Amino acid sequence: MKGFRALLKKDVWLMAAGKFFPMSLVFLILYTLYVNFGYVRFMEEPIYQVYLYDPQGTQGDASRLLHRVDSLEEMDAALLHDANAVGIDASTGEAQLILYGRTEEIDRHRADYALSLLEPSGSERAKVIGSNTPEQKARKEITCELLFFEIAAVGFLGIAAILFKEKSMGVIRVHAVLPIQKNLFLLSKLLLFLLCDLIFALLLTLLGVGVRDAVSLLPQVLLQTALLSLIMALTGLVCALLLKDFRQFTLAYLVIAIFAATPVFLVANTAVKLDWIRFHPFYHIYMGLKNAYFEMQEANIGYYLGCLAGIAVLFAAARYMFGREMRREG
Amino acid sequence: MKGLRYQLKSVLHDKFCLMTFLLPVIVAAALGLAGQIDFSSLGGTLSFGVLEEGILSHTAAWLNRYGTVMVYRTPEELADAVKEPSTNLIGVETAGNGIRTMVSGDELEIYLRTADTLPVLYERRNQAAEAKVQILERPGVMAGLGDMFAAAILIVAMFMGCTFNAMNMISEKEDGVAFVNEILPMTRRQYIVQKISVGFIFGCLSAVFTACICFRFSWKNMFLMLALIVLSVFVSALVGMLIGGASEGLMTGMIDIKVVMLLFMAVPILDFILGISQPVLSAVCYLVPSQATFEGILDLSAGGGAKAVKDIGILAGHCVGWSFLYMWVSGRRSQYHKRAI
Repeated sequence: MKGFRALLKKDVWLMAAGKFFPMSLVFLILYTLYVNFGYVRFMEEPIYQVYLYDPQGTQGDASRLLHRVDSLEEMDAALLHDANAVGIDASTGEAQLILYGRTEEIDRHRADYALSLLEPSGSERAKVIGSNTPEQKARKEITCELLFFEIAAVGFLGIAAILFKEKSMGVIRVHAVLPIQKNLFLLSKLLLFLLCDLIFALLLTLLGVGVRDAVSLLPQVLLQTALLSLIMALTGLVCALLLKDFRQFTLAYLVIAIFAATPVFLVANTAVKLDWIRFHPFYHIYMGLKNAYFEMQEANIGYYLGCLAGIAVLFAAARYMFGREMRREG
Repeated sequence: MKGLRYQLKSVLHDKFCLMTFLLPVIVAAALGLAGQIDFSSLGGTLSFGVLEEGILSHTAAWLNRYGTVMVYRTPEELADAVKEPSTNLIGVETAGNGIRTMVSGDELEIYLRTADTLPVLYERRNQAAEAKVQILERPGVMAGLGDMFAAAILIVAMFMGCTFNAMNMISEKEDGVAFVNEILPMTRRQYIVQKISVGFIFGCLSAVFTACICFRFSWKNMFLMLALIVLSVFVSALVGMLIGGASEGLMTGMIDIKVVMLLFMAVPILDFILGISQPVLSAVCYLVPSQATFEGILDLSAGGGAKAVKDIGILAGHCVGWSFLYMWVSGRRSQYHKRAI
């Protein structure tokens, strides 16, 4: 136990020396600012604006949602500024629609919607079956994405940076002669990164989603964060033990970032669907985290068993690699 | 020249370094192969969910005029699809002679309003639309999302010079080679030229190959693209030198690169998606060099050229600005070292 405490102390010191803690704090502040003052404001898309040029006043019953303009030039300028808008020229007594083309279907909808405003009727509201408002959705969505990105980057890169530092300092060689279990060397790092990730997830969720909404989803979010953190940290350890130096490691990081994360983000956050994505392990982990944020259906037992099996295999691989590294170091 | 040969030799021996430069080329090829991905579904199209037995065929055909219609077997499946946060699916059911819509409630306003007004549009579907529709062309207003991805990959290719230079310098510091460099018969200018050249040459090669895979240009635009690549890679090599000089360890270096990379990617992509039209904000975006590169690439891919020339001018300004900044920073750093010795 004393040896484990010493290992923990050494790893905390290494993380502090690598400016890990202030960097995490800076990222937490940046992400919080982005969620609260950036993304939530960006994610607004109103329905098409409709401009009406009706000098003779033939469209007296037109909806108040229409913007009346005094000249065709004013309407042209408005359409040029907002390419989604639709113009109605009623100067000849008959309505003529003017719009910048997008897709055939969207243009048809824009035209029909604009015409419907000429004869307004008391439309009933659509039935709402979900529990989130657009702002809550935007907050949960971006917090989930940032958390996934940060854990993947910090867990994966951070643990590797520490291990490479130790390699260069000869710490692994020293460990080979110390009367200490190999598992403890790996466990102290995993525990520290797990704790850091959990604290980061807790703070980011509270600051990003809001305290009131965060409370109910935190247990599931922290559980998913723990699984993701362990998997990423162990993958980082295996890669760091496999590769020669940190430069080579950054390549593995790039490959993971581009090939592994991009399709997952694309499928999970947009309407793009790829059939093969169900074979992608990151997809299930990301969806676990996303479902936790949106309190959607809980993952089945197969998912948790898969995660635990993955963690066990990665830990065994890391243990084997570490033993090999110690034998190589002498 | 001899020093540069040694630098290139050491790079060519490092297979992983070569892989770093090949990575954007591989991604570009993968993007080309992934042509089956339907990016059009990202562009704000409408999609409707209906029940297999709960909707009339002519209603489904009418919905199809506005967007995609997805058919679900049970009401639960339909409700789950509507609630799914990654889509903006509008559920549609038959209600008497009309239709009833349902939404999750977390959609953007455009989808909520569409769902609210859809029953009215359906009621009036048979009223012959007398209005004439004039659809105007506005070339280059919205380049395809495929072009955006290709331009983003090209920026990554240009950025590789920065990553390589920064990592190379940090590794030299960690291995103690930086101290050896100080006693070599080599001036500071020679050192800077050699370091920039390596990132510059490989960054250019990587970007040229990526551009060849992603885009097809006319001869004139090809030269403009080459100018964009050369200037952007030069700036990114200088940025890499600045990061390499400022970072004390691999960890901090990686984080610095991550921040700069995020900035280089996020600014042009956000500008593209949000369509920033405010002049001051737009000018601020141009302070990030990748903004000019991105705009230039999109202009060239749309067959333009005039805007790309302006972007080349901005990048040339960046080259001069970043060169002075690097000279000033490295001058101060060497003075500090001399004083420390």
